[in-house]
Amino acid sequence: MSVIEIKELTKYYYIGRNKVVIGLENVSFNVEEGEIYGILGPNGSGKTTCLKLLLGILYPTSGEISILGKNQFDIEMKKNVGFLPENPYYYDYLTGPELLKFYGKLFEIPDKIINKRIEKLLFLVKLHEVKKLALKHYSKGMLERIGLAASLINDPKILILDEPTTGLDPIGCIETRDLLIQLKKEGKTILLSSHFLSEVERVCDRITIFHRGYLLATGKLDELIQKYKAEGLEDLFVKTIQEFDQKGEKK
Amino acid sequence: MKKAWLIGLNTFKESLRKKTLYILLVVAFVVIGASKAFSFLTAEEELKMIKDVSFSGIEFFGALIAIFISLTAISNEIEKRTIYTLFSKPITRQNFFIGKLFGTILILLLNFILMSLFFIGLLIFKKSPPDIQVFKTLLLIFIELILIGSITLTVATFASDAFNVIFSFFLYIVGHLTSYGNQLADRTENLILKGLWKVLYTVVPNYENFNIRDKVVVGIDVSWQYVFKTGIYGILYLAVILLIGSYFIQKREI
Repeated sequence: MSVIEIKELTKYYYIGRNKVVIGLENVSFNVEEGEIYGILGPNGSGKTTCLKLLLGILYPTSGEISILGKNQFDIEMKKNVGFLPENPYYYDYLTGPELLKFYGKLFEIPDKIINKRIEKLLFLVKLHEVKKLALKHYSKGMLERIGLAASLINDPKILILDEPTTGLDPIGCIETRDLLIQLKKEGKTILLSSHFLSEVERVCDRITIFHRGYLLATGKLDELIQKYKAEGLEDLFVKTIQEFDQKGEKK
Repeated sequence: MKKAWLIGLNTFKESLRKKTLYILLVVAFVVIGASKAFSFLTAEEELKMIKDVSFSGIEFFGALIAIFISLTAISNEIEKRTIYTLFSKPITRQNFFIGKLFGTILILLLNFILMSLFFIGLLIFKKSPPDIQVFKTLLLIFIELILIGSITLTVATFASDAFNVIFSFFLYIVGHLTSYGNQLADRTENLILKGLWKVLYTVVPNYENFNIRDKVVVGIDVSWQYVFKTGIYGILYLAVILLIGSYFIQKREI
């Protein structure tokens, strides 16, 4: 069953009167319940634009989005979604538990449950020993981890993660990867945007490759590798992008 | 409304950390305190001076604080990108906007109470406890400050900080001059000038409506009826401003 459905989604950015920059062009894909779905693409390919559209932060130029059968602005739907932005910035005067409590209250979760979840999540992301430390003293990796905890505060059905391992050291990356696999086992659906190919290769059930706002390929990794006669994800990634750029040059 | 309140409390806590706020507050205390320096005047004149300078100080520094806090309440969230996380939560953009307004009002209230207590302390020290007219004046000043803050907050939903700060100060000055401008417009033969002032008089908030200090300082009583009517004017203007702000925050791409 599809929990996220994107149909012919287009987003144009208007710069000045006549200049239009393509954020996304006619993109369609579905994310099935319980899978980890990876959005791959170089910088500026439209990954973050796609996630912002999904969360109702941006408005689409055209196209449709359905998450758990509701549109992207539906408040009830958002109660079932967790989001980790790229390079997360939070209110730096708050401590980790204060931040989690603030977000938890926005989900109208009772205090008793929030407090239990905060304890559990701080252990999960290994920040339980720095409970009294304000976020302004956190390292980039710690911010990423508290961001991940914040995205789980509502025990969401769908987790949307934008570059979740940016700023993490190799151990942190492995731990995050393991956590994603564990969350999948718990039944959560994860939509992951990344330009770290090895990360995507190891955790994602299906992938999609974006480039310059266009969706170039989508499907299971092994099927795509066969289709494009590639030697691995890296080769597939380069081939699809080069093919697209060559077509563009010919035009 | 509960979510808006949560966002408001968060805005309040964040604003408390701004050093500029304390600098403005200290300067306001100095100005209010300096009103006592006119000891060469008679006791009655000195009291008038204290009231006049204090009311003006509370209004002026309150306006500076209102503009300064509202100016950055939304743009900080966008610049620091905290708004992305916030908008991914089950809140409406109206929750966010109203929350920012609550936060601004809370910080204004705190500063206003501190300045007012200092002023009242000064009056008590001068063995002239504040009468009801003093409280009426303070009440109307506070409503004016809320209006100033909410206008800046609304402009922040669609304009840059640089434009907003210029616009807000322009509006603050013009808002105190529209009554005079309207009187002049009635006398002038120049139709363009007349029309321009009439438009300004209608659109721009008339901040002079909230100014009863000139009367109170010289001992003229202002009725509750006037305070009530002016309060209603402030609330209606605020409602219109909030509708405009809600519309623009809903439309805004972040």
